[in-house]
Amino acid sequence: MEIFGEMDFSAIWKYREPLLWGLLTTLWMAFAAFFMAVPGGLLLAFGRLKGGWIVNIPIMAFVDLMRFTPLLVQAVWIHFALPIFTGASMTATQSGLLALTLHVSAYICDIIRSGITAVPHGQWEAAKALGLKPYISFFKVILPQVWPLVLPALANVAVSTFKLTAILGILAVDDLMKVANRINNMVFRPIEVYTSVALIYLACGLILTVLAAWFERRYGSDRLDRIAVERPAPAVIVHNELYGR
Amino acid sequence: MEFNFNIVLSNLPTLMDGLKITLLSFTIALAIAFPLGLILCGMRLRKTGFAARLAQGYVAVFRAIPEMVMIFWMFYCLPPLIGFKLSGLTSGSLALGLVSGAYLCEIFRGAVQSVAKGQWEVSDALALPRRAIWLRVITPQAAKLAIPPFINHMTELLKGTTLLATIGVAELALRSYVLGAQTFRYFEFLTAIALIYFVVIFPVARFAEHIERKLAKATS
Repeated sequence: MEIFGEMDFSAIWKYREPLLWGLLTTLWMAFAAFFMAVPGGLLLAFGRLKGGWIVNIPIMAFVDLMRFTPLLVQAVWIHFALPIFTGASMTATQSGLLALTLHVSAYICDIIRSGITAVPHGQWEAAKALGLKPYISFFKVILPQVWPLVLPALANVAVSTFKLTAILGILAVDDLMKVANRINNMVFRPIEVYTSVALIYLACGLILTVLAAWFERRYGSDRLDRIAVERPAPAVIVHNELYGR
Repeated sequence: MEFNFNIVLSNLPTLMDGLKITLLSFTIALAIAFPLGLILCGMRLRKTGFAARLAQGYVAVFRAIPEMVMIFWMFYCLPPLIGFKLSGLTSGSLALGLVSGAYLCEIFRGAVQSVAKGQWEVSDALALPRRAIWLRVITPQAAKLAIPPFINHMTELLKGTTLLATIGVAELALRSYVLGAQTFRYFEFLTAIALIYFVVIFPVARFAEHIERKLAKATS
């Protein structure tokens, strides 16, 4: 295989600074989108459970639309079609971040919703019997029990948010993937460029996965045991098996 | 501002050709992912040994790298390494299939491990041969449990085929984007394909939820 002899990684080293900036862009976008999506998803889940049908139907439509269309289509739609609608044009980073946040918040809405419904109804009744106001019983009684339940699924969504940022490169957001494409267009060494970028993504993805597993062990399962939850359905067991635990 | 959806209708044949390519790449990816997932699952279920480690490593790596990066790598780096050309459709679908294989492995493994332990013990007590335990006791129950997450992953895979647009495969998303750019009718075309994806995925996902509920009811 003479191809290995011809490889030249010096071009990658030459462009280490743009690559680093690309990596930082990827990381902060994933971070920002995820931490905007958590309150967003919480709000959606709350509206879905406690709102009447007037709140319910738009939320259901929004969540289904976000979950059942590809992020790529959503990002392109928000960047190119939405300005025609609103008249205000957005930069690639803004529309990319908006698309990612909306997409992820729909997933988080579903996760938190199932988490809230998994808390036994007696907890609501007990809070009411103690004379707690509804919002206090939600934030102080129910929600603290929801987090450990949904943590494995949320950690999984965090990792996939990081992976989804690679798609935003198509909007000329200068994330790691886009920077790699630009470098490749200049030096035309696809093997070296894409292999290095894949390795960078792999390292970040593995670190995130390990972090997520640590987080779960620290805050998830051992607290989970202390909570009186009903025996989970097989589908839930499969879900837990799939997303850690 | 006015919308003219007639332009979408007059270009519908082009979009439908795109949908065909989308479904084709979905099928290729599934044809790779399904057997791969089964093999990896079999390797991972052995608790120790080289095969289990290999499968574990494969799953960790392919779940950590974004599909997009995998597709670009397969498109640009694989052909020079193996010495012959691959079309965008082939290499893109291959990348999606390899990634999905890792996910399916986890889905199958989760299902097998969720089958009640007593089933193994009973089969052992009845002295059933290993083969019969797997084929007639465990697999039918595991398959039932695996259906909802499997279908959910299929919808994810279908959404993933849009990424092939980035390496120039003329599937649904790329075609409508190009048509939008040619006619400056982004809104109509992009809305139209968003709807097409929704119409394809929505019933499938709802079906999965339906089965999930039925399974939950049957076991509780």
